[in-house]
Amino acid sequence: MSARTPLRIALAGNPNAGKTTLFNALTGAHHKVGNYPGVTVEKREGSRIRGDREYRFIDLPGIYSLTAYSIDEVVARDFLLDERPDVIVDVLDSTNLERNLYLCLQFQELGIPVVGALNMSDEAAARGIDIDAESLGAVLGLPMVKTVGPRGSGVDALLDLVDEVAAKVGAGGEEARSVHYGAEIEALLGPIEKAIDGDAAFAARFPRRWLAAKLLEKDANALERLASHADAARIGAMAAGAVAWIEKHFGKDAEIVISEQRYGYIRGAARESIRIVRKPDFSPTEAIDKVVMNRFLALPLFVAVLWSVFQLTFKLGQYPMRWFEAFFGWLGGTVEAALPVGIVRSLLVDGVLAGVGGVFSFVPLIVILFFLLAILEDVGYMSRAAFATDKLLHAFGLHGQSIFPMMLGFGCSVPAIMAARTLKSPRDRIVTVLIIPFMSCGAKLPVYVLLAAAFFPAHAGNMVMLVYALGVGLSLLSALAFKKTVLKGHPTPFVMELPPYRAPTLRGVIWHVWEKAVAYLKKAGTIILASSILVWAVTSFPAYDPSETERAALAATFAAGNPEAGEESAAAFVRAATAEVALERSLAGIIGKFIEPVFRPLGLNWKTGVATVTGFAAKEVIVSTLGILYRAGSPDGEEAEGLIEALAADPGFNPLAGFVLMLFTLVIPPCFAALAAIATEIGWKWMGFAVAYMLTLGWALGFAVFQVGSAIGAIAA
Amino acid sequence: MVISDAPAGAAFRVVRVTLAREVGKRLADMGFTEGAEGAVIRGGFLRGPFQVRIRGYDILIRRCEAAGIEIEPVGNWSGADGSPAFGRVGGRGRRGRGGRGHGARKRWVARTGGIGPAVADGKARG
Repeated sequence: MSARTPLRIALAGNPNAGKTTLFNALTGAHHKVGNYPGVTVEKREGSRIRGDREYRFIDLPGIYSLTAYSIDEVVARDFLLDERPDVIVDVLDSTNLERNLYLCLQFQELGIPVVGALNMSDEAAARGIDIDAESLGAVLGLPMVKTVGPRGSGVDALLDLVDEVAAKVGAGGEEARSVHYGAEIEALLGPIEKAIDGDAAFAARFPRRWLAAKLLEKDANALERLASHADAARIGAMAAGAVAWIEKHFGKDAEIVISEQRYGYIRGAARESIRIVRKPDFSPTEAIDKVVMNRFLALPLFVAVLWSVFQLTFKLGQYPMRWFEAFFGWLGGTVEAALPVGIVRSLLVDGVLAGVGGVFSFVPLIVILFFLLAILEDVGYMSRAAFATDKLLHAFGLHGQSIFPMMLGFGCSVPAIMAARTLKSPRDRIVTVLIIPFMSCGAKLPVYVLLAAAFFPAHAGNMVMLVYALGVGLSLLSALAFKKTVLKGHPTPFVMELPPYRAPTLRGVIWHVWEKAVAYLKKAGTIILASSILVWAVTSFPAYDPSETERAALAATFAAGNPEAGEESAAAFVRAATAEVALERSLAGIIGKFIEPVFRPLGLNWKTGVATVTGFAAKEVIVSTLGILYRAGSPDGEEAEGLIEALAADPGFNPLAGFVLMLFTLVIPPCFAALAAIATEIGWKWMGFAVAYMLTLGWALGFAVFQVGSAIGAIAA
Repeated sequence: MVISDAPAGAAFRVVRVTLAREVGKRLADMGFTEGAEGAVIRGGFLRGPFQVRIRGYDILIRRCEAAGIEIEPVGNWSGADGSPAFGRVGGRGRRGRGGRGHGARKRWVARTGGIGPAVADGKARG
């Protein structure tokens, strides 16, 4: 039996319709995450083999309409129009069919066979909504099947329907049905469709029904596409005439009339096949929202939720963190014992293990943070957070919807910057992207944790919280400053669905966390490994090997200063002193000393300067760099010592400088990956602005805090 | 009358959306079209966003959008007190006849709490 042709299937639908869960059920483990060409909207692709056929699924971003209100909609529309998948599977939320079918009608106009997946059918049944899938499908003219994403039920039946509609296309079956806009509008659409068919090459590329309807909706993109038609001017004039007639006849904008006709059509279809058999007498969502969305409680609860997320992250994360640290300590010791003294051992122990190991220890923290954020997102809390914070954010010139990207920013700036695409107005998007780096990302967390543990051992958790809070404060104030100066403009509309609470599926959350953890580990394995080796190299070369006479001179100096000390401590002193000199004479030392004047006024030494510079590769590298620098310069020389103790013991450092370094790390520009994302999203000009702004602000704040702090310290002393 | 004038718990029918084209179209896409029935669930803290139920689902809109959606009252708003009840009473009537106080207020939930007004009506007729 030869394999049948593979099918390309677009999985499309409204947000919150359970699309991703169904995608996971359809594709199992066989999927990969990438980006749509040219843009950074996440694109999931996966496949399933059933019998002799391969089904390739593309998960489109969740959208409400094909009007291209947001970039997600543009991506979905362009994919459907330009890539022409074989079949569209429209994932419909069965508990909210009216609005979900609105998008379905637009899919039907694309001339691509559509299959309806009545998802969340279990939830609909529980709410007393009785849907006759067969009759609804018959009325609307597309096959439909009930599915339950988390359980994967209905998946086989769905694939059967996909086969069925795909076979019909090959056999040249009857033309797919689509929405009927009423006799008057249909009479206007008919001639336009016919005129579009006049250019056969054009008609082969664009669905005429979709184009005709979009022209009546005055869709700018449809007009653009029409331009390549041989008879574009005449069709444009016909459409303009039709719009004028509709507006005169109906007394309102044509695009509104089209929306009304679609909803009217859905009503007719629903009347025949959907029944409310029983009214739910209790809605858990409504009960929870009475508290969560209470006008006085909403904001304090939001703060409490954020606070709990961070407390949980640290409290739960410290145990696995210690195991990782112990493991890497053991590994370092083993490698050290197994290899002879030399450059290879130094590279492995002082470079790779000290660098990558230091960063790996933070994997548990990142995983827990992402896990908690994924749960909040899946539960449906993010819209509540937007509700709670919109007024506050609005006061600072932000949009309530900015809260998603901002909260994601606590995980990683790159997806957060991308998530800002859901914002409609370019101004809102630019402001949001510009302030996201102030939301301390997961990579800055290790830096804070390290410094807080070293310099504020009694209040480490609170210090980290303080830096996070300062970041949020700075982000709001910066947004206000941008709004008053470089980004003046009118407030943009706030229209956001409030989905009911849903229990997160363990599988969905684990998938989410797994993807993030893998991305983080990949980063540790590539960027951080490479920069660790680089940092090791610049700290080890040029090699410094003092002569015997120099050693003897050092030992003599030590003995003169400490007459009671024995041979052993003299030898230790010599080792420490030579290591210190070696580091200062290395390339890193030379570079560090060169840039030290910039850091000195902030109370920071050249080692932190080097770490800050290498931190642009990835912020965790600050930790690994300090690890290498302090290990190499540690008084015990070859014996491993915790970086925390080494920092605390450094006489050139003090708690004030430690706090300044935390602040400096918070404010200065993010890693290269985030900068690249900023440039992609809002342009190089704005990225340049962001870098200049953050460098200036970071240095100025660090300077002010250190100088004022030192002055106060001097007075107090 | 516009949505931002309505008290929490008030049921309404959309007359028209008077907002600028892009927002107006988006609200129409989201279900705010002439004749659509819905209810104000709650207003936000310190003139924050409104939670509005339309076509059986909930949506958040700011005060300035709420002020651009013209509505007519459904049922008796005197019973609306900011604590929307959830449908326990299965309403059948198409129009609130007023004067029924609490019962009238609950009826919208019956119609809009699930799949939407038309569906409940369909049942009433069938």
